[in-house]
Amino acid sequence: MKRLLVVDDEPHVARVLRVSLAKDGWAIEVAHDGAEALLAIATNPPDVMITDIQMPGMGGEALCHELHARYPTRPFPILVMTSMTARDQRDWARALGGIEFLEKPVSPRRVASLLTQMLDQEKKHV
Amino acid sequence: MSEAQTHGLARYGRWLQHSAGQSFTVGIGAGDGGLLWSDTADSPLAEALAGLPAQPLAQTPGMQRQGTSAGDLFTRAVALPEAAGDGWLLAMARTDAAPTDIELDALADAMDDVAAALEDSTHLNAEMDLLAGELAERYEELHLVYEIDRHLANQDLGTEVLQDLLQSCAEQLNADVACFVRPADNLTISATNLSKPIHNLDLVLVEMRGDLFRFVASSRSTVVINGTEDPRRAYIFTDMPYKVLACPVFQGIDMPAMLVLLNHADKPDFSNSDRRLGEVMAHQIANVMRMQGMFAEMRRFTEQMAAALIEAVEAKDPYTRGHSERVHLLSMRIGQGLRLRSEEMENLHWGSLLHDVGKIGIPDAVLCKPGRLTADEYTFIKVHPERSYEILRHVDRLKGAIDGARHHQEKFDGTGYPHGLRGTNIPLLARIIAVADTYDSITSSRAYRAGSTHEAAVKEMTRVSGTQLDAELLDVFLRICDEDPALLVQLGVRREWDDQ
Repeated sequence: MKRLLVVDDEPHVARVLRVSLAKDGWAIEVAHDGAEALLAIATNPPDVMITDIQMPGMGGEALCHELHARYPTRPFPILVMTSMTARDQRDWARALGGIEFLEKPVSPRRVASLLTQMLDQEKKHV
Repeated sequence: MSEAQTHGLARYGRWLQHSAGQSFTVGIGAGDGGLLWSDTADSPLAEALAGLPAQPLAQTPGMQRQGTSAGDLFTRAVALPEAAGDGWLLAMARTDAAPTDIELDALADAMDDVAAALEDSTHLNAEMDLLAGELAERYEELHLVYEIDRHLANQDLGTEVLQDLLQSCAEQLNADVACFVRPADNLTISATNLSKPIHNLDLVLVEMRGDLFRFVASSRSTVVINGTEDPRRAYIFTDMPYKVLACPVFQGIDMPAMLVLLNHADKPDFSNSDRRLGEVMAHQIANVMRMQGMFAEMRRFTEQMAAALIEAVEAKDPYTRGHSERVHLLSMRIGQGLRLRSEEMENLHWGSLLHDVGKIGIPDAVLCKPGRLTADEYTFIKVHPERSYEILRHVDRLKGAIDGARHHQEKFDGTGYPHGLRGTNIPLLARIIAVADTYDSITSSRAYRAGSTHEAAVKEMTRVSGTQLDAELLDVFLRICDEDPALLVQLGVRREWDDQ
């Protein structure tokens, strides 16, 4: 089963994704902020991570930077959820590279097709 | 069983452990006989479970006692959360001595409490999953609406808007083809997101305007055809082995168009959710069409007002008939040659069409006088660009075009009128119109003389290049004339060899 780590302080996002992606064979794990996500990744890295930007404690941007510092080879693809208004504030992600963006409210169908695409790409790289 | 789920169960297990007291070892078992959680490692419960005769889960409420090879096992059926399904709360006495009735009553109560809490939580979870499913649907709709909104906000309402909307629609609904069909105009706009090729796509798109459209128009509601054996396939284009979702696009009570999504037969069926999203999309397309209609009407109104103004000028001076149109045509060609942005082209369009509107203010006796004008009469003529400005400034939409009309009589060396501007101080649009205006004035016939040939006009304009006309723009213009002689035929300009 492919594992997706959802990092969001709002629990409904993870639940919506779990319900919608279950039929595609995704198991969803949840972390409520960046620090929790780092712990979860250290014990058992997921196949893909989706993270919100704004969270209490460590936010999505800090999480991505931290992951980049800890795992420079990037063990799994990252999707970042962002609001429509924050379209221009993506330079940091471009600098890190390999980060895809999703606009909130996220469309589970879009996530499903993006996940498939990303994993296909990963496979090609390997 | 994922970690999170085991953790969830552990909480209930520990609760049971505390409530049951020291006399029992407790655990939670799955319906298939596995042990999901226990209070000790190497729990005797595992062995007891294995020794349990294979039987459907006891539906009797309350705690049951079952004899096993490992000793008496106390069980209570319970619905477990997530995919774990049905299971048991389990307990066995820790000592060989049989538990007292009081201990057993306490255990039964504890099992009832824990089972009730577990089942509540299970039901709540299932309910929340249902809600989350609903929420997911709403997210899809909202996402699509936002997507549509973004397309509409970022563009004027050309046909490419529909193209973009269809593309979003195809991607969002993961459909192979999304198309907009309006048979009255023989119009089909389509976007594809193909999972595999459709070899006769063009034919399929064309055929939709016929039977499928008539079928949807007569049902006046969304048509979903998934099955290959669906009897309704008899009514639509038969060589179309695809799954079809067709939503009518209404304008008032008319149905001038429809939105169609197609999927290969091996893709999942179009669902109720797809249907709803399709309808949302169709409504948005209806809005776009309505707005496009209003835009076109506004545009037409402006064109007609402009035509009326031009007619008013030309009514005064029959010899200038067609002049505005010709200057417009030439100006636009120069504008294209310069690759002006669409906004500037729009301004050039109106500026060149309306450049002579101020002539309405010139007395007929002066405007139509054959032969040379006196200095006084010429003053009237010199006022006309400023008059054009005074007339056009009342129209907001023409703001950007006014300078073109106001300064088209300026000369490059600064000797023109009304303001004596020099060189590139003269607005670009005015310099373009000046080239076109000069050419048409020389080549068209007037009250007092016949029009000159193209060659004579070129000679004369080259003579005043850099003094009267912008040399660079003149070069662009002459290049256009060389490359496209048909343009001169269209304008009705005489050529040198016509006279021979």
